[in-house]
Amino acid sequence: MSGSLAVRFARRELRGSLKSFRIFLACLALGVTAIAGVGSVSESLLDGVSRDARLLLGGDVEFRTTHTPLPDNVLSHLESSGNVARTIEMRAMARKVGGDRRVMVELKGVDGAYPLFGAIELNDGVPFEGALEQRDGRFGAVVDPTLAGRLGLAIGDTVRVGEGEFDVRGFIGLEPDRAVGFASFGPRLMVSEAGLATTDLVQAGSMIRFHEKVALAQGTDAGEWITSFREAFGEGPWRLRATDRAAPGLDRFIQQVTQFMTLVGLTALLVGGVGVANAVRSFLDQRLATIATLKCLGAPADLVFWTYLLQILVLATVGIAIGLGLGAAAPMIAIALLEDLFPFHVPVAVHWKPLLTAAVFGYLTTLAFAVWPLARARDVRAVQLFRALIVPPGGLPAKRYIALTIVAALLLAALSVAVTDDQRIAVGFVLGAVASVFLFSVAARLVIAAARRVPVPKVAGLRLALANIHRPGSATSTVIPSFGLGLTVLVAVALIEANLARQINDQIPERAPDYFFIDIQPHQAEEFETLVKAIPDVVKTEQTPMVRGRIIALNGTPIHEVEVDETVEWAVNGDRGLTYSAEMPPATNLVEGEWWPADYSGPPLISFDSNIARGFGLGIGDKITLNVLGREIEATIGNLRKIDWATLGINFVIVFAPGTLEAAPHSVLSTVYTDTAEAEAAVLTEVTDRFANVSAIRVKEALDGADRILSSVGIAIRVIASITLVAGVLVLAGALMAGHQRRVYDAVVLKVLGATRLRVLSVYLMEYGMLGLAAAMIAGLIGAAAAMGVVGQVMRTDFVLDTTVLVTTTLLSMGITMVLGLVGTWQALGRKAAPLLRTD
Amino acid sequence: MTVQSIPSASTRPIVDLADIHLNLRSGAGEVNILRGVDLQVSAGETVSVVGPSGAGKSTLMMIMGGLERPTSGRVTVAGQDIGSMDEDALARFRRDNVGIVFQAFRLIPTMTALENAAIPLELAGHEDAFEAARASLEKVGLGHRIEHYPDQLSGGEQQRVAIARAFGVGPKLLLADEPTGNLDGATGDRVIELLFDLQASHGTTLVLVTHDTDLAAQCGRSLHMADGKIIEDAAPAARKSA
Repeated sequence: MSGSLAVRFARRELRGSLKSFRIFLACLALGVTAIAGVGSVSESLLDGVSRDARLLLGGDVEFRTTHTPLPDNVLSHLESSGNVARTIEMRAMARKVGGDRRVMVELKGVDGAYPLFGAIELNDGVPFEGALEQRDGRFGAVVDPTLAGRLGLAIGDTVRVGEGEFDVRGFIGLEPDRAVGFASFGPRLMVSEAGLATTDLVQAGSMIRFHEKVALAQGTDAGEWITSFREAFGEGPWRLRATDRAAPGLDRFIQQVTQFMTLVGLTALLVGGVGVANAVRSFLDQRLATIATLKCLGAPADLVFWTYLLQILVLATVGIAIGLGLGAAAPMIAIALLEDLFPFHVPVAVHWKPLLTAAVFGYLTTLAFAVWPLARARDVRAVQLFRALIVPPGGLPAKRYIALTIVAALLLAALSVAVTDDQRIAVGFVLGAVASVFLFSVAARLVIAAARRVPVPKVAGLRLALANIHRPGSATSTVIPSFGLGLTVLVAVALIEANLARQINDQIPERAPDYFFIDIQPHQAEEFETLVKAIPDVVKTEQTPMVRGRIIALNGTPIHEVEVDETVEWAVNGDRGLTYSAEMPPATNLVEGEWWPADYSGPPLISFDSNIARGFGLGIGDKITLNVLGREIEATIGNLRKIDWATLGINFVIVFAPGTLEAAPHSVLSTVYTDTAEAEAAVLTEVTDRFANVSAIRVKEALDGADRILSSVGIAIRVIASITLVAGVLVLAGALMAGHQRRVYDAVVLKVLGATRLRVLSVYLMEYGMLGLAAAMIAGLIGAAAAMGVVGQVMRTDFVLDTTVLVTTTLLSMGITMVLGLVGTWQALGRKAAPLLRTD
Repeated sequence: MTVQSIPSASTRPIVDLADIHLNLRSGAGEVNILRGVDLQVSAGETVSVVGPSGAGKSTLMMIMGGLERPTSGRVTVAGQDIGSMDEDALARFRRDNVGIVFQAFRLIPTMTALENAAIPLELAGHEDAFEAARASLEKVGLGHRIEHYPDQLSGGEQQRVAIARAFGVGPKLLLADEPTGNLDGATGDRVIELLFDLQASHGTTLVLVTHDTDLAAQCGRSLHMADGKIIEDAAPAARKSA
């Protein structure tokens, strides 16, 4: 009975509510949109990856080996299991015949069976079939349009790679098994396997990858096939992937970005939560007389609580529905923007899981922030109707409502942890959020206390502004936490970005070489060095032998059975470059153990990266097993080095002592440092002219690429971070709106007492300016501390405080508070005094 | 000094206050709002409470309505000791026994006249809440305004809705706090006329707080309060002649 009565009363009360709930709706809708949108886009992408998994992988299973093809017995087993396509990939330099420019390409030789699934699409309807075959003595090539642009290639032109020359027969529109070009060093150039042989680049020790893609015979279960394959052949020098890991890098990238964006969405929701609480409080303040009247007429307190909780929930549903609608539409917009980035079809569909998650977040936020003011309104006493001013009761609400608030907050925290892949980050986020809310509340109190204690200024306006900050019911305690939280995120993100940019643009190029030259054959090494050193303004060149190898066991335990810390997982995913050295390389930072004697001739001994050793849980004396060109080598860790990757010099995770790798086929890696742009250009021309098999990685280009990625990621991050700020501004607007009536009254009274409009305006300007400044200063402190933590602990580089960022943020914050405050005040100033005074 | 109330010969008192004290703590120290009030009101009586501002008139009424709890003393209304009731029990008690008319009408702005008048009936679980509320509104002459919202009604009309709401459940006790305080003279007179008519036809006990001596004179009994005490309790005629 009382339930249905609550519904009835709630429905009637809702008639006039929507308008006063605009901020409430906006806050919830914004946070829910962010979470639902990020989740939906991510699900769509992952869905696309898994639907097109066979296309992306190019088969049901794929084998990859480095340096040498699969052993024959394995290959014949694959051929008996289904159709096999082989591709060979490597880096090489390409140039247009008759042209001067040289560009590093990702060269891919394919056999006649390729591709097993999907199709290579060439632009302008050119068929792929036959495009690579030999005609008039020359093989064909199809190339990425960006390569065509960089070399000035047109269809029919000839491009030279190594010792081979190819006719350009088409531009690649879609290459299904090339998962996202984030990690690629150059544009694609595709030739046939036979065509590749003419380049003379397939040489022992060169960095060549062989991929065997298998379309299993109809009815074969890939999982079972892999199990029986492993039983028959064990672990070999190959890396085996099935469709569940069609694009692991892409999956990981999507998940990490999703995780980050979800956390930002949650921050927006958290900030919005403050807005929810404010809106509920100010709505209930307007309803105090109604609540007291209902109680006077015999309504029990619980009926009052439910009547208003139902209204809040209905309104929350409206806000959440708006957010879900926008969030569900997000994939369509995102796909339109991102389509070119991904080599697969992204299906447009409604993903219920992220929508449901976002909705639950929305409701929990509503409850966590609304129950408290509702419970206090529930305790309004009917007797207040007989008094001129009805005020909400002070003190704490009843215990069960405090409990309900805590339960909602805990569920919110638990859900945040549950939806985040990285539990440590999630727990850190939750603790950080709680700590920030707490710090800002304390800070707000301090500001109020400080405003009260400051010696009374002589200027009347300033005195009034200060009084406005600390008087009972001032906006300070709402404005500082809500606006400050959004600002903190912005400051932290801006500072982290500034530090990253400083690394890439200033610090790294200062110390980095101009080029890495790869695939130098050992017999070319000496000639290479002589050639380079003869070029004027070449200041330094370093050479080191390089072999690829894969870590397959730690202390005898297969690597896939070892718990490896996530931060160093990259070291076991795929091949690592290995080198050997008798002498300790210059600038080595040995942190543990001794370097071996130059004439060492014992069992395999290695120097290992100290950071990765920590992540593996290994120390000196522990053993690492590597597969190098099919041979298993168990080596003992002899010492640990700390590597500064930011120098971009030659750094190897693993350096072998003499006596192990010398006999393995290997290539030589060389860096070249120059002083002038002319020297830089000359090095590239002379080296690639002389050594057709040697590829050049231009550091500046790689850094430019990194900078480009960073700036586009930076824009995305800033967009998302500004969502938090928008939430903060909404809350700020809400808080100022709640005080609007009082401001109108104050302004009228001040005017009656003879203050000019300008005078009144300046009082408010000072108040808002001081509030904005206080919020910005606190946000600056907390944001800088957070950025320092991320830069120092996660990125492990030195933190530099970018004062420009700080000052800009502070000014921005002051500006926003002043403008928003003034918009409200302007209206107040326009009011004529008489009507207001009459009704008073 | 407490003046003994005039006991009714025929019925048990509907309001029985014994030695009521109310002290409130404020920033300036303790304030004694009521200082030992004894009062008995019989069923069907009309009682006005007059006195200067701050005398404790409204507080006395709040204590009768279970809206304020005395610091000490016993409050029995409609045969129930309401001093021992918790907030919710008091709310139910009011719902079943007490109607209140305020100076500021206190209608709920988001509800129509009909819905406002129906609230106590709905709270009491009456199936025919809306029919009864409609009948009440017709009785106060607002049958044609039932779908109007408070801000679409004049002050007098709003107060009539409030009176219809107060009489809806047939309360044993009707408390009116300056019911004409926000109305002009003529409108106020009509409202008072209505109030007394309904009181008479329902046989309700009416306690009315007012500054208006003419209005007080229309009641069968008048209490004069000052400084937290009843200093005079008499029939208006008797008081006037005194």
